Amino acid sequence: MALRELKVCLLGDTGVGKSSIVWRFVEDSFDPNINPTIGASFMTKTVQYQNELHKFLIWDTAGQERFRALAPMYYRGSAAAIIVYDITKEETFSTLKNWVKELRQHGPPNIVVAIAGNKCDLNDVREVMEKDAKDYADSIHAVFVETSAKNAININELFIEISRRIPSTDTNPPSSGKGFKLRRQPSVTKRSCC
Amino acid sequence: MSLRERSPGGAVEAGEDAAAAALLAEPDGPDRCLSLLPWDRFSAWLHCVCVVGFDLELGQAVEVIYPPHSKLTDKEKTNICYLSFPDSNSGCLGDTQFCFRFRRSPGRKVSLCCVLDQLDRDLPVYLKKDPAYYYGYVYFRQVRDKSLKRGYFQKSLVLISKLPYVHVFRTILKQIAPEYFEKSEAFLEAVCSDVDHWPPPIPGKILHLPIMGIIMKLRIPTYRDKPGTTPIVQNMHQADAQISVALPTVHEVDLFRCFCPVFFHIQMLWELVLLGEPLVVMAPSPSESSETVLALISCISPLKYCSDFRPYFTIHDSEFKEYTTRTQAPPSVILGVTNPFFAKTLQHWPHIIRIGDIKLPGEVPKQVKVKKLKNLKTLDSKPGVYTSYKPYLNKDEEIVKQLQKGVQQKRPTEAQSVILRRYFLELTESFIIPLERYVASLMPLQKCISPWKSPPQLRQFSQDDFMKTLEKAGPQLTSGLKGDWIGLYRHFLKSPNFDGWFRSRQKEMTQKLEALHLEALCNENLVFWSQKHTEVETVDLVLKLKNKLLQADREQLPVKTDTLKKLQTHINDIILALPDDLQDILLKTGTT
Repeated sequence: MALRELKVCLLGDTGVGKSSIVWRFVEDSFDPNINPTIGASFMTKTVQYQNELHKFLIWDTAGQERFRALAPMYYRGSAAAIIVYDITKEETFSTLKNWVKELRQHGPPNIVVAIAGNKCDLNDVREVMEKDAKDYADSIHAVFVETSAKNAININELFIEISRRIPSTDTNPPSSGKGFKLRRQPSVTKRSCC
Repeated sequence: MSLRERSPGGAVEAGEDAAAAALLAEPDGPDRCLSLLPWDRFSAWLHCVCVVGFDLELGQAVEVIYPPHSKLTDKEKTNICYLSFPDSNSGCLGDTQFCFRFRRSPGRKVSLCCVLDQLDRDLPVYLKKDPAYYYGYVYFRQVRDKSLKRGYFQKSLVLISKLPYVHVFRTILKQIAPEYFEKSEAFLEAVCSDVDHWPPPIPGKILHLPIMGIIMKLRIPTYRDKPGTTPIVQNMHQADAQISVALPTVHEVDLFRCFCPVFFHIQMLWELVLLGEPLVVMAPSPSESSETVLALISCISPLKYCSDFRPYFTIHDSEFKEYTTRTQAPPSVILGVTNPFFAKTLQHWPHIIRIGDIKLPGEVPKQVKVKKLKNLKTLDSKPGVYTSYKPYLNKDEEIVKQLQKGVQQKRPTEAQSVILRRYFLELTESFIIPLERYVASLMPLQKCISPWKSPPQLRQFSQDDFMKTLEKAGPQLTSGLKGDWIGLYRHFLKSPNFDGWFRSRQKEMTQKLEALHLEALCNENLVFWSQKHTEVETVDLVLKLKNKLLQADREQLPVKTDTLKKLQTHINDIILALPDDLQDILLKTGTT
């Protein structure tokens, strides 16, 4: 089975739960007292998608302002970016819009953008309406899910959706001379949400 | 900082070979020990990262040391300052990369040494760490900047490490330094945090090292690798440098490019390096001097170059006086210098290599003669090798022709380097095999090993005996080169490289003898023996056996774990056969 390495970066305000999402996806665990990330942390997980293996190289960036300038190193060459906000904090959703703008201007041209509204277990203190976020995501053709790293809601689905959106042949210039196998059906495009 | 393993099975992956798989299977391997404390993983790779800048009043100064708790003595800092900048007005406009090596201040506690020693054990000799030295890997930037008082931006990002993996650190710097110069201090924090999550530098495994958004994939060689073969780290099908880089080597330099300016003398240079002759490389810039020095010491691989070598040496170096004094004969060292002042200071040195700018291949110099030393007056002198040395061996015209042909056919330098490396390897092996064979014959016979006596000693090395073996089993068996091989051996036996090589062989063989002795002991019926001897003798035996076990562990003797377990069982059985009060005492003594 063909193995593809896919660079994925997580962006978003400090404290929205980027590391917790990665931790849940890779380790299936949750730690409420996770330390702030320095620079970025790196993890990998390989999942099967149709007849390919997708090895996600996940760069989980620091949300703190002092690491802001480093972000381009992480989204450079990324196949996908997961931008995370906290549904209980309106301002983290504004930060998200800035990330989208930055990716538009400086990010890789075909990057798959996924928006994750994290902490959906805290519905009582919600500040961002799901519909508003969904409408925004649709307007920029981004994947959208509300997630809870704590309760393991929609975490795997988020990555499956990313796999689905990644073009089946390499977006990156393929190394020359590699023959490829029979064509697969082009993946189902844009199934709006889960 | 989180201490948890971030990437179980992700950051470290097993290599192809069985040895690597075995290492991975070892549950108490160094990998586990190293995840103990923050910065432990970092220190397995780097001592620290320094930023050296130029202050109008102070001159060069270390502006930043990261992590902040890293210790450098004032002397070390001074050395780093001068060694991180070009020594003279050698231009170097733009970005320059080079490396240097300096003596560590004595009396520093070495943390983690046991774990790292274990890693060291599996390395080929020429990559083993020398605890007395640090390497500095430099990325120097000098650009015009009118906003600064000096009119120039001059800064170096320097990685200080014990590891000689020049290509690894070169690649890291190339990746991070340009970004660093444009970004904030938080950058270094992020870099160091990345390094602090790396797997330890275990030889023989494919290591995946995440750094600032890319993954470096590399494999550190082991002593088990067949010389001249490097299992290439394969990149995934996408050759996207923004995602990952696969390093073809951790330590090698571009041999052909380095030797290009002195192409016709490579074989003589091999002899000079082999014999540990004092050698100075005068180059126009630190990058050329450092690469050439590293190329020189690597040309006798798999032999280890045992004397000191300084890829880049300045007049401010703390060993400047020691190495340039005229009151003693020039020391057995290889120095790389750029300051014209050295042309005068080192006038009395017997062998001097002058190189101009390293040219692009395709411009191999025409046949040139070795130059007379008295013609070397200043740094303006023409490129070439200045020496009165007469090589012992006749020149191999084949290799020269082969490489020249390669130049005409525009063969890539990588391929030329491979040819050159193979040539040096075959030459070195032809030279060393007779010595290996003779030294192996110094090993006592298996039947001399008695469990009830101390392990037998190695027989003495006798120069005459060795020379006698050359007639039948000399280098002529593997090399067609004619010349005065005997003279070369005689000279070599007096050199530091022979001394270093022989010591390590001696150590290996003595350990082998200890291991065989241990196995012989295990195969005896020790309980039966103790029943026939007095209690005092039995106690003595138990203590001796416990010592043996300790030694096996401390010196990592090449014994099977089975043997050790068996010996432990023997010890326990003997103790259990003793009276109760003695049992208590014996069970408490020692570590077991």
